[in-house]
Amino acid sequence: MNETFTCGDHGVLVSYLYDECAPDERRTISAHVAICSACAEELTALGATREQLALWSPPDAQLGFRIVSDAAPAPALQREKGPRVLRPPQWWRKPMPAWAQAAAAAAIFATGLTLGMTRGTVGGPERSAPLQASSVSSGADPSGPRTAAVTRADLAALEQRLRAEMRTQTRTVSAPVAAAPADARILEQVRAMINESEQRQSRELGRRTTEVVRDFDAQRSDDLARIERTIGQMDATTGVEVAQQRQMVNYLMRVSQRGQ
Amino acid sequence: MTFTDDELVARSMGGDAESFNQLILRWERPIYALAYRVIGREEDARDVCQETFLRAFRALPGFKGQAKFSSWLYRIALNLCRDWIRRQRRAPVMQMPEGVEPGELIAETGPVESIEDLVSRRQLSALVEQAMALLPEEQRTAIILKEYHGMTFQEIADMQGCPLSTVKTRLYQGLTVLRRHLEKNGQLTPQLVKRS
Ligand SMILES: [Zn+2]
Repeated sequence: MNETFTCGDHGVLVSYLYDECAPDERRTISAHVAICSACAEELTALGATREQLALWSPPDAQLGFRIVSDAAPAPALQREKGPRVLRPPQWWRKPMPAWAQAAAAAAIFATGLTLGMTRGTVGGPERSAPLQASSVSSGADPSGPRTAAVTRADLAALEQRLRAEMRTQTRTVSAPVAAAPADARILEQVRAMINESEQRQSRELGRRTTEVVRDFDAQRSDDLARIERTIGQMDATTGVEVAQQRQMVNYLMRVSQRGQ
Repeated sequence: MTFTDDELVARSMGGDAESFNQLILRWERPIYALAYRVIGREEDARDVCQETFLRAFRALPGFKGQAKFSSWLYRIALNLCRDWIRRQRRAPVMQMPEGVEPGELIAETGPVESIEDLVSRRQLSALVEQAMALLPEEQRTAIILKEYHGMTFQEIADMQGCPLSTVKTRLYQGLTVLRRHLEKNGQLTPQLVKRS
């Protein structure tokens, strides 16, 4: 190591500045700096420069890259072999604008309805097939409308599905197209989902109306009051369903955030 | 349960993409920050960051653990930055912040820092960015690796493929240019120097 330090040995000065020198070298430089105002001044100025450098922070960026396996089909995208790193969609971490929140709620609502309907169809074409009675409608007239209970398995399945959809979204946005067309495409998808949801809701309403009419046909002797009661129960159950679906939305929000 | 980088690398090699995603989560911010500071463009820095992990993932079978995983990533990222600079054939483009919205400032900071302080901090940050853009690529990269990524002289020498003494020279020359620029712009006054 250097026994002495000569002014202008910048390499040694830098080692001292960054505290990357041997102890004896450090002592030598300290001794020199104590008597050489030029070197002392330079060290102070370089130290102050370093302090200024610490103020430079890059702008916040939305990252969240993920390797996504090609197991899920990705039409219209370049088919590379092997997994890819994908850019997260623009909306992913930003607070959602109001329209997107509404759309997301509608989409999840639709998914919830699908679940209920799937149970119905899976259970068999006749309504006599045993359905799990919802805890909220227990004690109601057994001939009244029933809601399918949403089990943890359902939620897990739904979560899987939403994750898959999110991955698809990710792919869509990461496609090498300009941001605006990608947004437009998302908007289009959302619109499609809303339409689908509306169709499902009207189908559901139609199904329930048919049930009420069927009840009416089967029991001609029953008076109007009974139908009114059935409709009243339907309203109540629908309200409970909405509450359940709101809970589900909250749950899914949490799950999707945690999934990050 | 937290795995080390090495453990996550091993699991990734065994075909577990989730483990690699954990490595991405751990390193994407530093890699993005490195790319941003070297090339100076947000959008391109993100592309570099993405490409870094994509290449790392593809090259994973060839990673024998001879270096730290992070050093390996940094090297890939720096090569990509160099390619970018060559392609652009120009110095990094500095994105000077536009007029700052007060609402944005309030949302971003706690009650401790006043808006005046924050604005001046932003201006200082922009000034540093501007000054850094003046440096030749090798000096700039050496300073970035030292100041923002805490690398040793030796690690920087390995990264840049040059002797240790060259790294020290680059750091010294770079710091000196920065110092002059900041002094000229009134940011390094004797007062500030004394306070530090
Ligand atoms: Zn001296």
